[in-house]
Amino acid sequence: MYIDDEQNNLVGFKATFRFDYNILIAIDTAQAYSHLKSHPDISVILCDQRMPETTGSLFFEEMRERYPDPVRMLITGYSDIESVIDAVNKGHIYRYIKKPWTDADIRSAIEEGNKYYVTTSMLAVKNKELQAAYDELGKFTYSVTHDLRGPLLSVIGAIDLAKTMDELTEIRSLLNMMDDAVKKLDEFIRNTHEYYNLKRGKLIFEKIDFKKMMADASAIFNIAGRMDNVKFIANVSQNEDFISDENSIKIIMNNLFSNAFKFQKKNATDKFVSADISINNGTADIIVKDNGIGIDDSHIEKIFAMFYRATSDEPGSGFGLYNVKDAITRLGGTIKVKSILNEGTTFNVSLPSKVNEP
Amino acid sequence: MGNIKKLNFIVIDDSKLDCFIAEKVITNTGKSGEVRSFVSAEQALETIISAKNTYFPHTIILVDIQMPVMNGFQFIEAFELLGPEVINNYSIFVISSSINENDLKRVDNYVSVKQFLNKPLNSNILGALVDQY
Repeated sequence: MYIDDEQNNLVGFKATFRFDYNILIAIDTAQAYSHLKSHPDISVILCDQRMPETTGSLFFEEMRERYPDPVRMLITGYSDIESVIDAVNKGHIYRYIKKPWTDADIRSAIEEGNKYYVTTSMLAVKNKELQAAYDELGKFTYSVTHDLRGPLLSVIGAIDLAKTMDELTEIRSLLNMMDDAVKKLDEFIRNTHEYYNLKRGKLIFEKIDFKKMMADASAIFNIAGRMDNVKFIANVSQNEDFISDENSIKIIMNNLFSNAFKFQKKNATDKFVSADISINNGTADIIVKDNGIGIDDSHIEKIFAMFYRATSDEPGSGFGLYNVKDAITRLGGTIKVKSILNEGTTFNVSLPSKVNEP
Repeated sequence: MGNIKKLNFIVIDDSKLDCFIAEKVITNTGKSGEVRSFVSAEQALETIISAKNTYFPHTIILVDIQMPVMNGFQFIEAFELLGPEVINNYSIFVISSSINENDLKRVDNYVSVKQFLNKPLNSNILGALVDQY
């Protein structure tokens, strides 16, 4: 934006530079303010020092409070040097251009000013990101402290209690509970590791053999299923290459499966977890379904939030589905959930095939 | 002091093991009456509300802070709305593994909370608590 009280200067300025930059001109400060309001992306402002209503340095001093981002430059003759020095010292202007100016003067000033503007804006964005990461770290540390200390203190309490017990059966049942607490701790640490890998780790795109992946999963989950009487059914239809990050997909599958197994109805007789995977035209559709306890409508929006747990009936880290969603987002896919309380839950995951990278 | 009536207890903790430990430590004092534990603060609150008009000896509530669905703070806030005829029947103690300063400060702000107790609960802590009544 260029501000000058002489119409001829404005027209000349615009004519000279309009091919290289988006130029806005203003005959007075009122018009300048109206431009600032409607164009929040103005990066450089050049203003004549001597105007009838005010001076350029006064205008900059005033506008800076409301619009701190644009880079400010004063155009002035030698006679105004005192006020220019003052304005520079107070930080109102970035630099000044002396009259009479040449095209090259203005061009280099704009280039330099714009570079400064972009750097400062980028810094502001980075600062924001940094603040967000810092806030997340605070939240993370708080929850991690709780989730690591919780089971540990439970075990300390249990050991203390066991010392006072004489009945072997009583001690054994306490040992079983301690076992669960320690396993929960281990699960939490593994989930934290997954979280870190997802956040910072590199994706490695390679061919995914879903049949093999599901055969491995079946081997693990069939054993788990037999203990709790849950049937595990897996169907895979893959007739084309699919490229993605195997680690991420494993994290997605494992979390969805173990949730489906975990949140079963205790006394039901026909419990099942099913996985239907089909790959068509470069898209993998994965449907994980169970007939377990389901998720209440009031929780369904929040299940993907970090550390959110919708129930206290089963132990959980509040990490699992957060990691699932994170992994899916990184792979450019989507996840949808449908659930009916006491009838079961279905997760629909859709992932695109990626380009094979070396 | 010299009271023959035994203290009732309500334990609220989403960890079943911690509920079990609390129950054992409480009964081991030999000075307790009924001990009930809840893994869900919502259920505990419902039980307290439905017992509104029945007479029972003074009840100690031990409540954890970090729990899913309804956490300890939310429980205390809901409890404090129940009116003096309910509130006066109970004493709340917060039991937590938290070492977070904000949590500790926040506990101080609730008038109905008697004290903050560190996990794990043991016979010394509980003995001292029971002796106050």
